[in-house]
Amino acid sequence: MSSNARAMKISSEAAQIPYQERLDAEFNSREEKALAMGGSVKLRARAEQGILDARSRVEVLVDKGSFVELGKFAISSFSAEAAAKTPADGKITGYGKVNGRWCAVVSNDFTVMGASSSLTNVKKIAHMKRQASGRGMPMVFLGESSGARLPDNMGARGMGLGLGNDPTQYQRKRDTPWAAAVLGQCYGSSFLYTCCADFSVIRKGAVMAVSSPRLIEMATNEKVDPQELGGWKVHVEGTGLIDKVVDSDEEAIEAIKMFLGYLPASNLEAPPVHPVSPGSGDEMGNILAILPEERTRVYDMRKIIKTIVDKGSFFELKERFGKVAVTALARIDGHTVGIYANNPIYKGGVLDVDACDKIQSFLVLCDSFNIPIVSLVDTPGFVIGAEAERRKATGKIVNFMNALQLVTVPKISVIIRKSYGQAFLNMGGGRNSDEVVAWPTAEVSFMTPRFAANIAYGMTPEDDGFEEALATMDKDNSVWEMAAVFAVQNVIRPQETRDYLIRALDAHRAGGVIGNHELRNWPTSY
Amino acid sequence: MSVHEVVSEIAGTVWEVRVNPGDQVESGDELLILESMKMEIPVLAEDAGVVEAVLVEKGSSVAEGQVVVSVRT
Repeated sequence: MSSNARAMKISSEAAQIPYQERLDAEFNSREEKALAMGGSVKLRARAEQGILDARSRVEVLVDKGSFVELGKFAISSFSAEAAAKTPADGKITGYGKVNGRWCAVVSNDFTVMGASSSLTNVKKIAHMKRQASGRGMPMVFLGESSGARLPDNMGARGMGLGLGNDPTQYQRKRDTPWAAAVLGQCYGSSFLYTCCADFSVIRKGAVMAVSSPRLIEMATNEKVDPQELGGWKVHVEGTGLIDKVVDSDEEAIEAIKMFLGYLPASNLEAPPVHPVSPGSGDEMGNILAILPEERTRVYDMRKIIKTIVDKGSFFELKERFGKVAVTALARIDGHTVGIYANNPIYKGGVLDVDACDKIQSFLVLCDSFNIPIVSLVDTPGFVIGAEAERRKATGKIVNFMNALQLVTVPKISVIIRKSYGQAFLNMGGGRNSDEVVAWPTAEVSFMTPRFAANIAYGMTPEDDGFEEALATMDKDNSVWEMAAVFAVQNVIRPQETRDYLIRALDAHRAGGVIGNHELRNWPTSY
Repeated sequence: MSVHEVVSEIAGTVWEVRVNPGDQVESGDELLILESMKMEIPVLAEDAGVVEAVLVEKGSSVAEGQVVVSVRT
């Protein structure tokens, strides 16, 4: 039988099965392979450890039934052997609604060749980023990847064909918000996108690093534990590169959903407005009870912030890093605000290098996404000393100041207690906020009275008249002197702070809230 | 179960010891009060647990980074 005749025979046999059924049979068989990921053995092992697989993570993230998958049938283009074992090529991509709003999603499937980066899946990620930017959708990266796929990227030819062919791959223009989760071993693309993101969260047990302990040991003979290399303590407490730590995949995804709830879908929109939660502002009458009357006593500024903002809306970023400062998203009267504040309970609220980095990155977030900024001030100043200088305190203070002066969203500063020296400016004093108001408890000067007595007036505590000089300076430092020269726009009663902020923020939003986004191209880490 | 070593984040003098071995503490509880920079600065428990040892006493000088209390979590 000629080959032509054979083809005709097969075709006539196939014709016995209805067309739709034949199409369905092939489609279903291909779809089944795509959805099988790296196979039941690997998937079961993950499930036993309580770790979600890439597709389950997407299900937890998006509203039920909303996922529109792209690239389900994408596979490796490297070889027939690789094509057969790369369902979706190891990166699940598509659009899904997150709390009712469309987002672009990349979920790494570690069971497929370690979700390593290949020619095909790099195109998938680029597509999602392009559509997210063009259509105004937030991006979510659920990270877990081993790095560039091997042997695809080996050799000069491999390198030439593979990495580096997308000149926008790591551009970060902050046109739409990005959120990332570190949910396993994150080497390669997942660390790169995590560090580009506006918000990141890590599950305990996961690791983010440039390369794996195994490669490090081969290259340098250094034996290092994965957690010590790039575990949650390293990045949440040490480097501050990751904003939050949680115990499970589900909690990490929930944190991303909460974060996105404060953000607009793009920088062309105002942040979403939520209903004001019942009980908001109820404790304002007692707010002064949080602030100790003795100036030598400290307190937790977060209690003051939680009293002022809508009940339950306080969402702290980098809670375990640079703790002398607080950075948090919250809502006041249903509208998103970004709050940066000193926290005297840690080191008296003295501003250190980590706090500069933390606040600066927070200003970038707020300015990029039209979020008005409120600062709450109680600091004796910047940390001084040799260690601070070695850690680039001077440069960090200027970076912070530069970012603050480039901000174009509304800025309102409330001086709670101390505001001294350069820190007065960094915390929004002078013309570094649209409005500066103060509680009657505020005290402002170039340096604290005890040091000023020595440095400005040459007195020591043993000298006659030292205590009298201190008392005079205390009076001169009182906020009424600033109000008299209109260097603060008003003095407000502490219990009226929430009402004042509701009205002042409303006034500043009246002319529109879309800023100039001068900070949108600021570096993604510091 | 692990022992968490609580370090002082600041140099100062111990002003007051607020806990004893065996005490149950919650995250954010004050373990010690230090006097530093003319301020009373607390050392806080990071995690809930039971105080295993208090390694300083009233009047002790404490360096930045020094372990002051251990808590079994």
